[in-house]
Amino acid sequence: NYLFACLAQYFTVTEFQHDAQMDYYGTRLATCSSDRTVKIFDVRNGGQILVADLRGHEGPVWQVAWAHPMFGNILASCSYDRKVIVWKEENGAWDKMYEYTGHESSVNSVCWGPYDFGLILACGSSDGAISLLTFTGDQQWDVKKISNAHTIGCNAVSWAPAVVPGSLIDQPTGQKPNYVKRFVSGGCDNLVKLWKEEEGQWKEDQKLEAHSDWVRDVGWAPSIGLPTSTIASCSQDGRVFIWTCDDPAGNTWSAKLLHKFNDVVWHVSWSITGNILAVSGGDNKVTLWKESMDGQWACISDVSKGQGAVSTITDTQQNEQ
Amino acid sequence: MRLKEIQRTAHQAWSPAGHHPIYLALGTSAQQLDASFNTTAALEIFEMDFSDPSLDMELKGSLPTSNRLHSIVWVNFGMGADGTGGRLVGGSENGTLTVYNPEDIMTSGADAIVGQSDKHTGPVRALDFNPFQNNLLASGANDSEIYIWDLNNFSSPMTPGAKTQPAEDISVVSWNRQVQHILASANPSGKAVVWDLRKNEPIIKISDHSNRMHCSGMLWHPDVATQLVLASEDDRLPVIQMWDLRFATSPLKVLENHTRGILSISWSQADPELLLSSAKDNRILCWNPNTGEVIYELPTTNQWCFDVQWCPRNPALLSAASFDGRITVYSVMGGSLTAQQQSTVDKISSSFDAMDPFGTGQTLPPLQVPQPTAQTTIIPPLKKPPKWVRRPVGASFAFGGKLVTFENPKPPPVQSPQPVPRHVFMSQVTTETEFLQRSRELQAALQSGSFNNYCQTKIQTAKSDAEQDIWKFLLVNFEDEARIKFLRLLGFSKDELETKISKCLGKNFQPNGHGVDAKDLAEKMLQLSTERSDDATGAAGTSGSVSPSDFFSQTPKDNANFQIPVTCDTDGLISQALLVGNFEGAVDLCLNDGRYAEAILLAISGGEELLKKTQQKYLSKQKNNISMLISSVVTQNWKDIVESCELDNWKEALAALLTYAHPEDFARLCDTLGGRLECERTEKRCLQACLCYICSGNIEKLVECWAVHRDCSSPLGLEDLVEKVMMLRKSIERLRNSEVAVQSPILAEKLTRYAGILAAEGSLSTAMSYLPENSEQPGITMLKDRLFHAQGESAVGQQPPNSYNRPNVSTAKPTPAAQTPAPKAQIMPPAPSQVAPQQQPQVPSLFTPQVVPANTGPGLPPSSHVLPPSAPRPTMRPSYPQHPAPAPGFLPHQPFQPQPMPGPSAFPPPGPPMSAANLPGPLLQSSTSPPGGMPPMPSPGVPPTSFMPSTSLPSGPMPPSSQPGAPVPMYPGGLHSQGPVPPMAAGPYNPMGSGYPQGGPGAPAVKPFPTTAVPPPPSTGPQEGWNDPPAVRGGPRKKKVPDNYTPPAPITAPVMGFPAEAPQHHDHAQVPPGAPQEPSVQLLQQLPAERVEQKEIPAEHMVLKSTFDSLVQRCQLAAGDPQTKRKLDDAAKRLGYLYDKLRDQSLSPNILNGLHEISRCVASQNYQRGLEVHTQVVSSSNFSEISAFMPILKVVMTIANRLGV
Repeated sequence: NYLFACLAQYFTVTEFQHDAQMDYYGTRLATCSSDRTVKIFDVRNGGQILVADLRGHEGPVWQVAWAHPMFGNILASCSYDRKVIVWKEENGAWDKMYEYTGHESSVNSVCWGPYDFGLILACGSSDGAISLLTFTGDQQWDVKKISNAHTIGCNAVSWAPAVVPGSLIDQPTGQKPNYVKRFVSGGCDNLVKLWKEEEGQWKEDQKLEAHSDWVRDVGWAPSIGLPTSTIASCSQDGRVFIWTCDDPAGNTWSAKLLHKFNDVVWHVSWSITGNILAVSGGDNKVTLWKESMDGQWACISDVSKGQGAVSTITDTQQNEQ
Repeated sequence: MRLKEIQRTAHQAWSPAGHHPIYLALGTSAQQLDASFNTTAALEIFEMDFSDPSLDMELKGSLPTSNRLHSIVWVNFGMGADGTGGRLVGGSENGTLTVYNPEDIMTSGADAIVGQSDKHTGPVRALDFNPFQNNLLASGANDSEIYIWDLNNFSSPMTPGAKTQPAEDISVVSWNRQVQHILASANPSGKAVVWDLRKNEPIIKISDHSNRMHCSGMLWHPDVATQLVLASEDDRLPVIQMWDLRFATSPLKVLENHTRGILSISWSQADPELLLSSAKDNRILCWNPNTGEVIYELPTTNQWCFDVQWCPRNPALLSAASFDGRITVYSVMGGSLTAQQQSTVDKISSSFDAMDPFGTGQTLPPLQVPQPTAQTTIIPPLKKPPKWVRRPVGASFAFGGKLVTFENPKPPPVQSPQPVPRHVFMSQVTTETEFLQRSRELQAALQSGSFNNYCQTKIQTAKSDAEQDIWKFLLVNFEDEARIKFLRLLGFSKDELETKISKCLGKNFQPNGHGVDAKDLAEKMLQLSTERSDDATGAAGTSGSVSPSDFFSQTPKDNANFQIPVTCDTDGLISQALLVGNFEGAVDLCLNDGRYAEAILLAISGGEELLKKTQQKYLSKQKNNISMLISSVVTQNWKDIVESCELDNWKEALAALLTYAHPEDFARLCDTLGGRLECERTEKRCLQACLCYICSGNIEKLVECWAVHRDCSSPLGLEDLVEKVMMLRKSIERLRNSEVAVQSPILAEKLTRYAGILAAEGSLSTAMSYLPENSEQPGITMLKDRLFHAQGESAVGQQPPNSYNRPNVSTAKPTPAAQTPAPKAQIMPPAPSQVAPQQQPQVPSLFTPQVVPANTGPGLPPSSHVLPPSAPRPTMRPSYPQHPAPAPGFLPHQPFQPQPMPGPSAFPPPGPPMSAANLPGPLLQSSTSPPGGMPPMPSPGVPPTSFMPSTSLPSGPMPPSSQPGAPVPMYPGGLHSQGPVPPMAAGPYNPMGSGYPQGGPGAPAVKPFPTTAVPPPPSTGPQEGWNDPPAVRGGPRKKKVPDNYTPPAPITAPVMGFPAEAPQHHDHAQVPPGAPQEPSVQLLQQLPAERVEQKEIPAEHMVLKSTFDSLVQRCQLAAGDPQTKRKLDDAAKRLGYLYDKLRDQSLSPNILNGLHEISRCVASQNYQRGLEVHTQVVSSSNFSEISAFMPILKVVMTIANRLGV
């Protein structure tokens, strides 16, 4: 009963594709690949217009991340070349806004914090460190680095939504709630770690152990107004865990195994409403998972190659073209 | 980057890939001595805990061994389901092959040896296990010995074939990684032999002709079955040769970079493009064997590394064993661990300092003590990103339920010239199909305005009775005669009741189809007060239709001769008191004697004050169940009922409210009742409370109450709620003739959630339509902004974007507002819309608005109504007060602009009291209720629909003429020429603050617009049945009237404590001449206050006023008895109602004609004829329309006739 309709197929590229992210509105698509480029497409109304071809990285670009549009059109990218580049559109032209070279190894993940915190970017690197870059205005960026966050390397970072745990969505208007900046990271030490900022210093808040191999990706679910915090993590070991915490202090996390796949699970992505999890596996399969009323996670569909509506429609489109 | 390090001189074996955690087994190396010259041997297992940043490895188990090892492997064989265990196999210097159980080494150490064989005659340097059959192990030793061991049957090894000649040491054995029966062996002389175990013979021998290849290592290509590499230990040829068996004459490729002989190689199983080599030049290199390029150089020691191994599980790790007695685990991903390295350097240095530089006979290189320098060098990662960090597939959600996926098909093993196409897909994910289906149905209903059908369908498909009830109630709101239908739904059927009553009265009662006959009712009323019939509840319910004036006109008038008692008993005293006009005394006597009926009758004649007093006295004496009801009916005190009735009687209470409650109070009373029900917190009561809220039209309370017991978190649960809310809202809008803004936070929250789900399912424009229009809640404004932009060009016509502060964007993007509307644009039905005049731009406070909309068009009153926020129609757009681009869409609105203008003067009763009460719907309906149905009058049922264009056509295009199904003629062209006639459509635009109920959350449904109460202009159609509002308030009602009420607008209450509904008289000639008219006294008192402004009576009707006024004057001059005088005084006032109607031009032509005819008769003093005409008019008109003045006209004419003036 679940429907998937492929809306469009883009870019027959020859280089390895590493990430594809839509902007906040779903009108622009940024992709990055092994050819060291970041490309931005205008995809409104099913279109596919190449808006920008950003060159600046000297290695494969692993991830891109759109900043909240209140800051303008800003995109961050990270690469194997150990650099993080923040790109900004000025008068229709994209340009480098900032280049961070503080990592000693591949930067595997970038993630913008909730807009409530301003422009703040978390970067996870294979050098085991996580950097937090905060735009302080006037082309200045403040850098904080968590060294040795994950031995052998950090593979993924994901911010917590800007809600005080245990509070409902309605914050008293006018006064800015005293949010705690938190994010989650996953690394080659098989650990999922939670970090929070206290008095301007980043500290390890929690260490979640369940995976038996590299944690490939972590995703902190968007807040849906409930006091529960939810995190998904996936691993080289084929397991996807859903971590939840009901406790306002954020200390008690429990893990639930979503599924054990037969292959590496590379990526997890929450839907905007936080109720569906897209899991991308090493077998080039994407599956969608949804939590049922009784708290069990169920696969609601495969969006996989050779199966389902996606490829069917794609084929049709190709035929038409 | 160095991760772990330990001082051992040992051969190493990583735990297999499936093993977790990662262990490293170290077997003391033969032919080497460590710094301590320890000659013992041991097999040790260490755990790699990388969450521990220190360099230390944790020793998990140790087993002393009798022999030092030349080789060691860790095989999958015997591995537990949890991925631990396996077997360790060590080849020793004396030819012994030993199989250990690593679990036992780690636990007890006892029985760790599970197998041992000394088949080999010399040191076993070569070991490899079959990747496909993990029980198969190959070993190689001196003298060309190669054995294939089956770990299941360890005692009898096989050979791959005859020994090669001449006999040589076997330095390496290696299983093919693709074909399980292929094994290769190599010896230091540089020859490699490939064996086919099926044929049990060598199939190919590989050897270059340099004779310098001294094979220290040989490995099969992980992916390509026919390729292998050979590493040479010879310093003169320190190369790695890559061979393809298909071209076995010369190497495919030669990897040259080492300067001295290569000691060890390891090919990454995770990425075939990573080949490690360590050599006597102290370097460890990583090659891309496909390109021959060195992509990494490990910044290592100054020592030879005799063994390097990729970690099977963690592809970034490798371990290196060096001759200086260290086992080091490195990561090839770069980085540094400065501090720890420093300490290690110190440790090693001290160790070496203590070393006795005594030769051991081994090929130890010159030992150099490392200098304790801080190693802050940043180690770059592999030049080529390893395969394992390249994410091959990904899927990311985007706004609107979109899913972006990409995949990278596995490249063919051999590089092919054809690029592999890679795609990015965008898909729409919809998971809530039922939700979407229902949402579409709701949308369809909202857009088409077919609310009735929608509710009907819902009733039919309702899954529970409660659900069905709710939908029935909701449906009624869209129907005519809502009040009656509500009553019916509550179980009160008029017809049935009439039958019951007549039965009870023992009469053959014939319903006339319009209510109870006045006479019957009058009698019933008498019974009510005297007999306290049990049936009185019902009687009270129905008798509400009795018009007091009619009722009194029915008093018996044809008594024959009778005696007037003058005795001293009560009778006598009463009659004496009456004879002298002492009503008060007579009433007291009657009351005292329990003759309540007489008391009331007399009190009626004694004037209003007396009547009131009498009522009070009577009621205070009555203490039974029914008296409370009667009391409430009489005193209009419904508060007591709703506040103190048994909750089980909620239906009755609601019925009473429906029948009687004053429009102003109705909603509040309903809510009170609902609130009491809700307080019980049981599901049943909450549903009942919901019904109350539906009657009162209180959306907010409905939502709150609903949410108490129903799950609103799931999409379908939310859909359940939203369907009801939207229908209720539509019905209110229909009644109120304007958009209903719902600002209740709880509803806003629910609608936002609903919109969020819709958005997540891809229904962006629909989602937009549900978002509260003028909320400044950041969550709502953000979602709105997001929806707007997400729709791209198709979003035109929707609300202007709340753009964030980005200077560039506005120029880069077309301003959506300026774009032409998309034809397919959806109509947005439900958006809450009222915009307060002071409303601020729709910008989240967090953001700086990009564009502050310049304004709205000129003519629009600041408080103008608001159309659905997201309605894409061009015509709708101007209605946003803050719309940035008002121009294009503005035209359609212009016809409406004048409408607000009629202003207060247009409405005689613009006052607040009126405002809340009267809704267009019911008003119209009342006018249509007369049974006879005057030809020009709209047929019943029509009126409400005719109001649709302005009311419930939220989605329709603005120009009324284009409204499908709308009775366009009702108001388009003639509208402005109507002058004083209040245009119906003016309601929503009404600029008057006073009568305009604030559409705030609290009062959405309950308070209709004042202006909407105004009936359609007379010229456009049938005469209005509705008196002008003041008259309505106090005037006697016809029985039908209540029926027409819709809950939010109950009819005004009857004046004198009689049921509001008077029996309808089609023939008003019946009214007995001289019948007391006092019931209307109260009403007269109300009048002045409400007559705010008077307009002129149209000239053509002035004659009516002059004629009737002079008639009354003449009568007053001629009248002698006080009662007649009083009647005439009353008449002078009551004719005021007529004049009001004339000023309003609210009388239908039929009535006007009749009045002129009467006037002519009066002028000619032909009262008889005048009375005849009067009867005609009354019988053919809507009673409610004329009830305020026609009876008194008759009275006056009768008097005039009698007096002969």
